[in-house]
Amino acid sequence: MSTRTKRGPDAGGEIGDSELLDLYRNVSRIRALELLLNRYIEEHGFGGFWHPGLGQEGIQAGAVSALRSDDYLFYAHRGLGYALAKGMSPVTLLADLFGRTPGSVGGKGGGTVHFVDPEIGVMGQGGTVGSSFVLGAGVGISAQMLGTDKVVAIFFGDGSSARGTFHEAALTASVWKLPLVWICENNGWAISVPIAEQSPTENIADRAAAYGVPGVIVDGQDTLAVRAATEEAVARARAGEGPTLIEAKTLRVRGHFEGDKQAYREDLVDGLDVPRDPLKILRERVPAETADRIDEEARAEADAALEEVLAMPTGGEDVVTQGVWV
Amino acid sequence: MSVGTETETPTLGYARAINQALAEEMRREERVWMLGQDVGKMGGVFGVTRGLYDEFGAGRVRDTSLNETFIVGAAVGAAMAGTIPVAELQFADFMMIAGDEVFHKMAKWRYMHGGKLSVPMVLRLPTGVLGGVGAEHSQSLEALGMHFPGLKVVLPATPADAKGLLKTAIRDSNPVLFFEHKGMYRVKGPVPTDPEFLVPFGEAAVRRGGQHLTVVATGLMVPRALEAAAALAADGIELEVIDPRTLVPLDMETIVASVERTGRALVVQEAVRTAGAGAEIAARIQEAAFFALDAPVWRLGALDTPVPQSPVLEQLVIPSTDQITAAARELVKL
Repeated sequence: MSTRTKRGPDAGGEIGDSELLDLYRNVSRIRALELLLNRYIEEHGFGGFWHPGLGQEGIQAGAVSALRSDDYLFYAHRGLGYALAKGMSPVTLLADLFGRTPGSVGGKGGGTVHFVDPEIGVMGQGGTVGSSFVLGAGVGISAQMLGTDKVVAIFFGDGSSARGTFHEAALTASVWKLPLVWICENNGWAISVPIAEQSPTENIADRAAAYGVPGVIVDGQDTLAVRAATEEAVARARAGEGPTLIEAKTLRVRGHFEGDKQAYREDLVDGLDVPRDPLKILRERVPAETADRIDEEARAEADAALEEVLAMPTGGEDVVTQGVWV
Repeated sequence: MSVGTETETPTLGYARAINQALAEEMRREERVWMLGQDVGKMGGVFGVTRGLYDEFGAGRVRDTSLNETFIVGAAVGAAMAGTIPVAELQFADFMMIAGDEVFHKMAKWRYMHGGKLSVPMVLRLPTGVLGGVGAEHSQSLEALGMHFPGLKVVLPATPADAKGLLKTAIRDSNPVLFFEHKGMYRVKGPVPTDPEFLVPFGEAAVRRGGQHLTVVATGLMVPRALEAAAALAADGIELEVIDPRTLVPLDMETIVASVERTGRALVVQEAVRTAGAGAEIAARIQEAAFFALDAPVWRLGALDTPVPQSPVLEQLVIPSTDQITAAARELVKL
């Protein structure tokens, strides 16, 4: 098997019109939530930590669009986009974010939390980044043992690529040919330290060679390219050929959390402009009128969701002790 | 106390009893499987899983690499996705290597996700002193499990309990830390063959009745407390020896009822004396039975030192039968 890192497929691969519109709609819906939360936090503050994913929507929507609804998802901590694209509703996600009991974790969350929906394979998130490598591998073992052809997508950042859990999971996952797709959103920053100071090699995908799995580099701002690379990796995993490591090169527009002044950074003004904006890049493929209408619907959906969520109750003492034991 | 019809009770070693529990549960339920270092063809470094690879194959008895975060983390993930893994760490001490997986993922994942996920798995943990395995392979860390809500903690002291408690653990929908004493693997005792023989969690065993002093002992300290009781009986001092068997859930009812009769309690553990399970049990005894006590509650445990590697020295660190006898003799006089 070739273990040399390769460039992912170029954008513009085969995609049907309705699929293209669905994809654009998801990028737009994620963007609308990002901008809404940015505005809300600026105006009202926020009790927890919010790690914005502005500018990374194309990876989230693009990769998840290559999954089946019964495939598994371990999402990363920047944004709501992964779970939204997988099929969770913005009302549920915002309810979790604002610690409201109708959220998926019943009011236990707050800030960037642990959305979950096992019915559509959304398997939650740890508080310790990089912990989903080993958990996701285990989900893959069950998928395999139970005779399903489900695939597990595991998102992570360049920061968590440093965790030893990746090595421990990748080694055995490759030997056992577990149905995994690792998607690294390399935005160049592990909180305050640039990737060049953390990694002796430029590409995280190059590490795939050590585990005998394909390493693929893809432009993370190009939603269709991410989708195409993920489709290939998913097909490989589903066919029983084992994991693939995809590295989507992207950038971090906002701070580690909303409110992070990024004093350690000189490369970006603090704003909402997204260089090489994935929404604009994908928009070129969609008729302008249609895109305008989708954007408008996305904004309306986000606004309505927030309004609904802010009227919801937070949990009380009963919630605190629920869910420890089966 | 035990469920099932105990028609036959042949004698079996503690390790074989664990092996039998694993085999029976894997025969009963296809979704039960195992993973760990050398658990396959070798049958485990202590031989506990011998023969299981041959019966169930490489798909259900999986040898892993030397990767503890994977062993525990993958078990957690697999449990959330529909199978029932029984993971083995070669030594209980290695929980530290997989700390995030044991104390966060296994214990908290269900709670953090609003009860939407469950983690039906068992983590087998060979524990305690064995003879020369050193400071990082000899610890008794069961109290750690008690300190992380979400984990059940089991510590069998007889072959029958090793089997019946492990079967219960595998059938429990919650994650279980199963501390098996590696120094007791060869201890023999009667073990029921009924495949439905289960020992319930949260029910202490009264190993010996007595009216002068309640001794609460766990693991290897149970046989030592029974030896002490036999020695003191010759002098007319009758110890009641209670083995909690599970620390989470903990059967304080049996312990408190005993202390209310004897008026005295000695708690004995192999773990270091400070901040161990014994400290918790002692505190709960005085909370519940203070006015029935005729003397302070005493604790015996290992010295607050690491366990030295020398087999001679390690026995000087943990409580001996003589120390239990001496402490009991003194406590009944107070």
